[in-house]
Order: sequence, then structure tokens, then C-alpha cells
Amino acid sequence: MPSSSGYFRTHYDQDLRFIDTRTQRYCLWLLLAWLAIYPFLATEMLLDLANQVLLASVGAIALMLLTGFAGQVSLGHAGLLAAGAFTAGILFKEFAAPVWVTLPASAAIGAVLGLLFGLPSLRLRGLYLAVSTLALHFIVAYLGGEYEAKRGFSSGIVIDPPVLFGWVLDSAQAWYFVLLAASAGTLLLAANLLRSKTGRAWRAIHDREAVAEALGVNVPAHKLLAFVISSSLTAMAGCLFAYFRGFVSVEAFTLFLSIQYVAMVIVGGMGSLLGALLGAAFVVLFPYGIEWAMAILPIPTRWSGMVFAVDYAAFGLVMIAFLLFEPQGLVGIWRRMQNYFLLWPFKQQLMRK
Amino acid sequence: MAEQDLAPIALTLDHLFLEFGGLSVLQNLSLTLRAGELLALIGPNGAGKTSVLNCICGIYRPSRGSIRFAEQQLVGRLPHHIAQLGIARTFQHGEMFQGMTVLENLLVGRHARIRTGVFGEALFSRAVRAQEILHRRRVEEILDFVELSAFRHRPMASLSFAQQKLAGFARALALEPKVLLLDEPSAGLNRDAREDLARFILRIKHETGIPMIWVEHDMQMVADLSDRLYVLNHGEYLTDGAPKEVLSDPKVIAAYLGGAKHEAA
Repeated sequence: MPSSSGYFRTHYDQDLRFIDTRTQRYCLWLLLAWLAIYPFLATEMLLDLANQVLLASVGAIALMLLTGFAGQVSLGHAGLLAAGAFTAGILFKEFAAPVWVTLPASAAIGAVLGLLFGLPSLRLRGLYLAVSTLALHFIVAYLGGEYEAKRGFSSGIVIDPPVLFGWVLDSAQAWYFVLLAASAGTLLLAANLLRSKTGRAWRAIHDREAVAEALGVNVPAHKLLAFVISSSLTAMAGCLFAYFRGFVSVEAFTLFLSIQYVAMVIVGGMGSLLGALLGAAFVVLFPYGIEWAMAILPIPTRWSGMVFAVDYAAFGLVMIAFLLFEPQGLVGIWRRMQNYFLLWPFKQQLMRK
Repeated sequence: MAEQDLAPIALTLDHLFLEFGGLSVLQNLSLTLRAGELLALIGPNGAGKTSVLNCICGIYRPSRGSIRFAEQQLVGRLPHHIAQLGIARTFQHGEMFQGMTVLENLLVGRHARIRTGVFGEALFSRAVRAQEILHRRRVEEILDFVELSAFRHRPMASLSFAQQKLAGFARALALEPKVLLLDEPSAGLNRDAREDLARFILRIKHETGIPMIWVEHDMQMVADLSDRLYVLNHGEYLTDGAPKEVLSDPKVIAAYLGGAKHEAA
């Protein structure tokens, strides 16, 4: 057994494991223990932040699969979140559907939308593809707005907290565990896809599409599959978002939200699941950081009303800074730190990937 | 040679024409590749050698003519389908997936042979795990064959160009092809790397019997290794036959060295 021997690998199965060594296993248990006690130690504010990060991480992982691995740019992410949220809202209002109906329904709607709006990717790429996915955003936002107006929910749809196995989800602590499970589940699913045939095909398409095709990869099918899986996961995140907020309104799903998700992928680090998590945390916590910084810095009070403007501007600057100076994102910084401590105290050449 | 002629046909190109707009690239090209044959496709720059490979693997679509493989018509099929039928190729510039490890590159080459569904993969079911291990084992054998085992977990980008071209060779072999198309495998390699390459080509020929169409510029290498030469000039068939005869053919020399009229000789 590997656990009783050294860390030498004796079977190919060991290369497929996420957790192989004892140290890694201990670290995982420590992390799980920390995550389990976190909601009981954290203040209300910190718990809410954690919930927001966990929720965003589901969408970020989904977009990372599509953009960071399969190489297909999408600006339709907010539209997909809205589609999931409205599916939940409409089914709840019209049919009083429970969560175990609305969640799969959102996934199905997301999959259909992903398939439809993935079709342009067979002909377009890069910026052109991004613009075509933008259509998704506006169509969903329009339909959502129409529904709100026609049914007289002009200020939004209020949704009751969901009931899971007779347990009403209404406390932040309960939500924490649900969102943690959702995030961990999405992460595991994505990691599994990436260590098998489909994930390798996506990365191959990202790198050299024509070569992948000549090697027997059905490129159109895999592109569409990436769109379908990513969209389906995102719509489920939208559904959770609706229940989490208890409220659905088109105003929540702006184009800026799409850009924030793209920012998570870029700032976190393209082509890395850890990057999706780091990016989600960074983008969610960033405005709070700015607010905090403006509160403690000696800034004239007449400027304090401009916190949103400063927030947007700083966000833009950080995006540009990452694109220019750290294209590998937070993961790139993390890997460099790892390298540094692995080699310490010896001086090292910077390893380029 | 008589034995070669009796070998069954692996791949046939029949009266093939390829045009881009008004530009005629290939004209009335017919070629037969026999089982176990190492056929070198030579010709001056721009003769259309790579275009022939691109037609076979579906990247280009010929305007007329047919390509038959295993009783199937290849013209009009998509590249990935042709690859799945068992036609693998290498690329002149390697064209490796730089961001993936050597192992992952080969596993992409094996894509068409791995039988897993996306739902099983998402859960990484027992069956998927078994498939991954099974194909890993096969890919390791191929890596061992091209002597790149030590580099299995290295990112492709960290390998030298010569190693990348060998890895490209391995990636094509990972498909377990029935026909192998080599696009200038020796281009950009030094003498040592070429000798290694020659050894691998001969080992494939003798150990697996996979028929190969080999586009090449190194005449010495071609003369020493191949069973038969097929010469293209300006997209047209010039001649074919045993290497020594073809390379001393005045028509071939004229094609390579320019318009000097050697016909009289």
C-alpha cells in the first residue's frame, strides 16, 4: 500500500488520484475541518462573504471550463445566471415548484441555451464569438424583464427559502453548507472531466484546433459539449443565487456581472481550476477591500460618496495590471511562491511553466 | 519488388485534382500504397507533397477524384472521421500541444480509441478509471518505443524541437493507425536526430508493418530507407520506382535543378 511505503508510485492508478501522498491527505482533512467550523466562528459579515465566494466559484469554475480550458470566449455568463434564476422564479411563482424541480429545470434550460449559443463557436472565434454570446445576455434580460412586467412583478420575484428533505434553508449557516457542497461538487465534476478524454480534447482544441481534428477529435461536438456543460452549471448557479437572495430581478444580471466572471477567470489564471476559485474570491472580495481601504485611509469625506466610482476604476486597473504583468493570474503567483519555497535557500531561475 | 507488388492495397488515390480558386495544386494524381510499404513522396518545393497528405486526411477537399481506404471513400469525410478510421499523421513543424504534458499529448492522439462517455467521466466511474489506466499503459509502451519515457510528465514546451518531433511521431502512433502519414519528419533535425528518426521509421516498418507515406527532402535518407519513391512536380506525377533508379532519372534531376534539358541523356 502506498500509505505505508514511501511516495514512490507503483501503479498508473496513483497518477489519476487527486490526493496521493499522506501529507496531501492530512492537508485535505485540515482544510475540511477548517471549512466545517468556519461558519460557527465567523461573524455574520464574514459568513456572508464566504457564501458569496462559494456561489461565485460555481459560475467561475463553469466559465473556466469553457474559456480557460476549451478556449471559447463567452460574455453571456450573466445571461445564463439570469436564465437559471428566472427558471427558478417562474416555476416557483406559477407552479409553486420545489427546489428539486427548479434546479434540474434550470440545468436543462442552461443546457439548451448553451447549445444554441454555442453554435456560433463553430464558425467564429475570439472577439467575434464574444460578441455573438453577448446576444444571449440581452435576449435573456429582455425576456426576464417582459415576464416581470406582464405578471406585475415589476420590482422582482420573491422566492421562499427552499426546503431540502424537510429542512428549511433560511439561515446563513445552512446556506454555507449547501453552497460549499455545490462548489465542491462542481469542482470535483470539473476536475474529473479534465483528467479524462473530454478535458484533454478541450485543451487540445484550445491549443491547436486543426491538429486536434486531424487526430480524431470531433471538434464541433466538443465545443458544443463545453458550452452545454458550462451553461448548465452556470444556470444551476443562477438557480441557487435566486434562492440564496430570495429574490429575482433582471437588475441583478448586468453586463458588468458577465465581465466580473471573465475577470475571475483572467485574474485567477487561465487554464486552472484553482485559478477559478482564487479568481472568484478575489473579484467578490475586491469591492469590500476597496471600501475598507477608503474607510481607513485619510480620504476627505466629500470623496467617500464616490466609493462605487473608485471601485469600478480600481477594478479596471487591476484587470489591466493582471493582463500586462501576470497573464498567468493568481495561480501564476502561487506557483512562483511554491517554487521559491521548494528550492529555498538556493537561488532559483524563474521557471516559466 | 515483385513481393511488394503482390501485397494488398492499403490506400489508393485515383485521378485526384485539387484546386484553390483558379490555382491548380494537384492534377490527375494516382497513387497506390501497398501493405507494409514505405513510400517516400518527394519533389521540389511547392510540388504539392503536403497537399497530398492534407487531401488524404480531409483537411483539403479534392475537386475531383477519389481516395479509397479499406473499401471506404475518404473524399468528403471530415478529418476527425478519417483519423478514427485509422489514418494518422505527423506535422512538419511538430504542432504539439505546448501546454500539455508529453503523456497528455499522446493521450489526445489516442482520443479515437478511448471509449468513455461524458457522464461517466464527470463522476470518474470505475469503468472510466479502468479505461484511463488501460490506455495509459499502451501510451507508455509507445513512449518507451520512441525513448521519451523519462519526459512523460514534462510540459511539451520544455522539450527540444527534435524531441517534440519524436513526440509527434509517438502521438500519431498512439492512434494505432493502419496508415501513417509523415510530413517531413526530418526537417529541422540534426544528423544525430535524423539517425534516431531513421531507426524509428525502420522499426515501425519491420515491427508493425504499418504502411507509410513519407514526405521528405533529405534525398540520402530517402534513398537509404524507402521501398519506393514517388516524385511530384508542379502537382503532377513525374515518376515512381526504386530509389536508385528514380534518383538517377534525368527527369527528376531536371525537376530539382531547374529547366536544363536533360531529356536527351
